Amino acid sequence: MLEFEKVAVLGFGTMGAGIAQLAAQSGCQVTVLETDQARVEAGSSALGAFLDEGVRRGKVTAERRAETLARTRGTTAIEDLADAELVIEAVTERRDVKRALLAQVAGVVGGEAVIVTNTSALAVSDLATAVPRPERFAGLHFFNPAPLMKVIEVVRAVRTEPALLDRLAEFARALGKEPVLVKDRPGFLINRLLMPYLNDVIQGYDDELATAEDIDTALKLGLGYKQGPLELLDMIGLDVHEHATRSAYDATLDPAFAPPPLLQAMVAAGILGNKSGAGFRSKENAQ
Amino acid sequence: MIGATKAVAVLGAGTMGSGIATVATRAGHRTLLYDLTDDQVERGLATVRAFLDKSVKLGRLSAEQGTAASAAISGTTDLKDLSGCDVVIEAVYEDLAVKKALFGELDEIVSETALFQTNTSTLSVTAIASGSRHPERVVGTHYCNPAPLMKLVEVADGPYTADWAHSATEEYLRSVGKTVVVTKDRPGFIVNRFLIPWENSCIRALEAGLGTKESIDAAVTGALGHPMGPFRLLDIVGLDIHQQVATRLYEQLREPRFFPPPMVERMVAAGDLGRKTGRGFYTYDDTRLFGS
Repeated sequence: MLEFEKVAVLGFGTMGAGIAQLAAQSGCQVTVLETDQARVEAGSSALGAFLDEGVRRGKVTAERRAETLARTRGTTAIEDLADAELVIEAVTERRDVKRALLAQVAGVVGGEAVIVTNTSALAVSDLATAVPRPERFAGLHFFNPAPLMKVIEVVRAVRTEPALLDRLAEFARALGKEPVLVKDRPGFLINRLLMPYLNDVIQGYDDELATAEDIDTALKLGLGYKQGPLELLDMIGLDVHEHATRSAYDATLDPAFAPPPLLQAMVAAGILGNKSGAGFRSKENAQ
Repeated sequence: MIGATKAVAVLGAGTMGSGIATVATRAGHRTLLYDLTDDQVERGLATVRAFLDKSVKLGRLSAEQGTAASAAISGTTDLKDLSGCDVVIEAVYEDLAVKKALFGELDEIVSETALFQTNTSTLSVTAIASGSRHPERVVGTHYCNPAPLMKLVEVADGPYTADWAHSATEEYLRSVGKTVVVTKDRPGFIVNRFLIPWENSCIRALEAGLGTKESIDAAVTGALGHPMGPFRLLDIVGLDIHQQVATRLYEQLREPRFFPPPMVERMVAAGDLGRKTGRGFYTYDDTRLFGS
């Protein structure tokens, strides 16, 4: 039996769509909230396309695809979330936006509902103060693409009650993922480790240690990584990484998190990785 | 095999030296394995032949190729036997004076056009090359362990390395089936330069209680797709080796993130070096590495 059967996802972007798919294909009834109908449709079609790809690769049966879609509905009406047992917030990484929405949603759902945030860059303990019952609030940090990545970080905020962490871990396992319990510190566990490494690589590249391709090749062949760090940055989005590492830097003043000058310059120039058509590994790379 | 057969000498019959010699002889080059004592040379040759035999058993080499590769390698303890070599690959202990002296001695033995490659992982190629009167022929070639299985070789020129030496090195490495990345003579080249701070920060996260060794390993493999987590990897590499490499990089770069965290020092002091001692971050019943 699922720990939470009725799940609301806030935001139908890349993460929201991935989380909605994952929950729906595990048997949850999922309602996804967006600000307007165009965004609802964009999210639904992204979810559909991801499932189509799964069918094409033989990872998802046509039946499962249909079930998953049938269990997912998009909405722009916040009242549609009233019966949610679990709310997963996955909107843009802005403190003011998240806090306002969390407060609003907390006023709609029942008193027993659990609210979690999928933030990767903001403090969960701070977002928790936007809802009336911070002890029933935690972080549930999915990795992109959520349906495929095997780990979910369960983030314990300062006031999260321990029993909730057990329920969330159980829920993560029901989704077929390995829950990793982490503290509410900048970057939690994975990004805390990953960001300094990526910054280090960007600086090494700027210092002309090797070409971007050779840096990726060396780390892939030398360490068996599936993806080189510069390819990974192009996939994540340079602006996304810049925002995350800057937030961690602001919170810690640890120079390992300081966004390297080259990263700042590329983001300023609109060179954001795959989504902008140019990045570290792209031919159009201006550097 | 690509290109012409060369006469290759490998200095040092330890793990890296015998691996590099395996790579050379397997590709059809006439290979000479040098070390100080007959015993070391014999052990090195036995390692090479055992690897080749296993490759034949696994079907990676034909019986004919295995026999030819075994026959193409021989050993010596006399540097003078290297006189006809085209390529000399140095893979002795990481001691600058020893490496420099060897290249200096070889200047008197081999032809001026013989190529010198050094497999150092933490010393400066420039410094090692200064041991030769012909630093233009010295190129850094950093293999990964186990050399016969890992495709990657990092190539680093010193300031005096000639273009011909660099191209000949790339050509040689391609002839033995390696993938070359070109980097600079800087501490740790590419892989260790980024791996050491990564491993150190994982160890510091463990020290800080941000996770357990199991949860950190699971998170890294699950979320980042690494083939193994940082603590499993450290146990294979050996905590003593990690400490040595990290310390050497720190001594050159003076950045604290390269310095081995206290937990490493404690584990090395306790003799918990990883798989080879049966205990590191994890415990092991089987202390063998890589099927050796």
